[in-house]
Amino acid sequence: MIEARGLTKRYGTTAAVNDLSFTIRPGVVTGFLGPNGAGKTTTMRLILGLDRPSAGTVTVNGKPHRQSLTPMCDVGALLDARAVHGGRSARNHLLCLAETNGIPRRRVDEVLGIVGLADTGRKRSRGFSLGMSQRLGIAGALLGDPGILMFDEPVNGLDPEGIRWIRTLMRSLAAQGRTVFVSSHLMSEMENTADHLIVIGRGRLIADCGMAEFIARSSGHTVLVRTPEPDAMARAAAAAGGQVARATGPQGAVELEISGLTEERIGDIAFANGIRLHHVSPSRASLEQAFMELTADSVEYRARTGA
Amino acid sequence: MAVLAMNPRASVAGTLRSELTKLRSVRSTYWTLFLLVVAGVAWAIADCAGEASHWPQMAAQDRLGFDPTQSSIVGLAELGQLVVVVLGALTITSEYSTGMIRTSLAVMPRRGALYAAKAAVLTAVTLVVAVVTSFISFSAGQYLLRGTHVAATLSQPDVLRAVLGSATYVVLSALLVFGLGAILRSTAGAMTTAFGVLFLVPELAKALPSAWYADVVRWLPGGDVVNAVTGTRIGNSNPHLFSAWGELAVFAGYVVILLVVGALAFSRRDA
Repeated sequence: MIEARGLTKRYGTTAAVNDLSFTIRPGVVTGFLGPNGAGKTTTMRLILGLDRPSAGTVTVNGKPHRQSLTPMCDVGALLDARAVHGGRSARNHLLCLAETNGIPRRRVDEVLGIVGLADTGRKRSRGFSLGMSQRLGIAGALLGDPGILMFDEPVNGLDPEGIRWIRTLMRSLAAQGRTVFVSSHLMSEMENTADHLIVIGRGRLIADCGMAEFIARSSGHTVLVRTPEPDAMARAAAAAGGQVARATGPQGAVELEISGLTEERIGDIAFANGIRLHHVSPSRASLEQAFMELTADSVEYRARTGA
Repeated sequence: MAVLAMNPRASVAGTLRSELTKLRSVRSTYWTLFLLVVAGVAWAIADCAGEASHWPQMAAQDRLGFDPTQSSIVGLAELGQLVVVVLGALTITSEYSTGMIRTSLAVMPRRGALYAAKAAVLTAVTLVVAVVTSFISFSAGQYLLRGTHVAATLSQPDVLRAVLGSATYVVLSALLVFGLGAILRSTAGAMTTAFGVLFLVPELAKALPSAWYADVVRWLPGGDVVNAVTGTRIGNSNPHLFSAWGELAVFAGYVVILLVVGALAFSRRDA
């Protein structure tokens, strides 16, 4: 359990983190979402005691991490996968971490196996790809078998196989009853992984709610439908009160973007009208859209369109 | 996932082991320590072989002033400080340049303990290597000087002090730059400042009016400390200096100040 109360970090006059209060609970994956520069990394650094808050408090299992007697057992964190000494082998890197907390050497080999680096453990980490570095960072986070895991943008630079691996890992860690706190600036990364969302923008809390609630809240929730009979489907959906827009999907296929109707309702309408459906999904764009709308006022760096 | 049988706790002993592993697991450590040994021994061989070959032609007065102990071990202090500042700086600044400091502090949040463990391991490793090098340099030098009949032995007055003092000076130099590294968090910055303190400050002081210089010289770091610490001939030493131990204490004083300021910076500032 991580608890922040009025957490604030100012650099000069700008507040990187501004009066944040939240509780991150065990047993679920909590996504930490916000545009670049929103203060996600600063918040994680505050949780780990790397930075001192200007005001407010943040505790890990009820106490500041700086006072922890069992730091690796309390929380395992991956902040920056590249933040290792490139001249050191993966195994020695992990050994350096393990020894501080009296974690036995065999655990180092064990976590190397878990992240799939068993064969590269003796190589110097300088030559690692970003994906391998991420795995090494995750191995370090797992060393102490911690109750809380914290990952800052863990899928950055991972290939699809790696992304799927880390999603599965995070889900299984949460299923074991652990607290999993993972940041991202991309909504799409969160929708398949997180159960709960904390959204911040310009250091302030924007939303703290379940993923389902977040999706439902989004104003422009649309459902993407692909069917060999788009005209019939469009008519039927419109008759049922939906708004229908036509779009061109991959390979030039016609797609319908239907808003105002749930996926279930659309399926029922199609069945009632004898229309074959090839694809029904909540539009990913709509989730991104909801996120963008929510954070629109708080984007730190924005390209001015038309400029 | 297997649950660990033991309950992992952060400890000072564990952190010491970890810091030793950090030092042992990168190549730069071996390079700098190897260079330290080479610098000390090579100086001893070159200087003492040279003196031995000049000996037959040397004037009586020069023979009297010749310090066989200093000839064999001054190189360790004089050159060794150049080498060991690299190791002293990297021990702490590489944590910042690589970003490793964030992980190090996450797994060992008691900053004072981490800082002390780093300093302790640096001290232990450089002390062992410097002491061994000093004895090797001394022995090699005295062997080469055996034909002069003035070769020193460890049982003579001040000789053991000079041999150990030379090694101690090297360790203090490493700690000096370690403290600077904690304050500046930059390898280049720490090394440049260390060279400024060890070489530039004593040179600049020479520009002072000679009466002032006589008053401040005993408080300066750098060359005069090396001279006082490694010398065993009373007549050779600068009358304005403290004793060898006194000069070593002055130097140690600066090191302690930098280590304390470094410790405060390390524990107070955001990582």
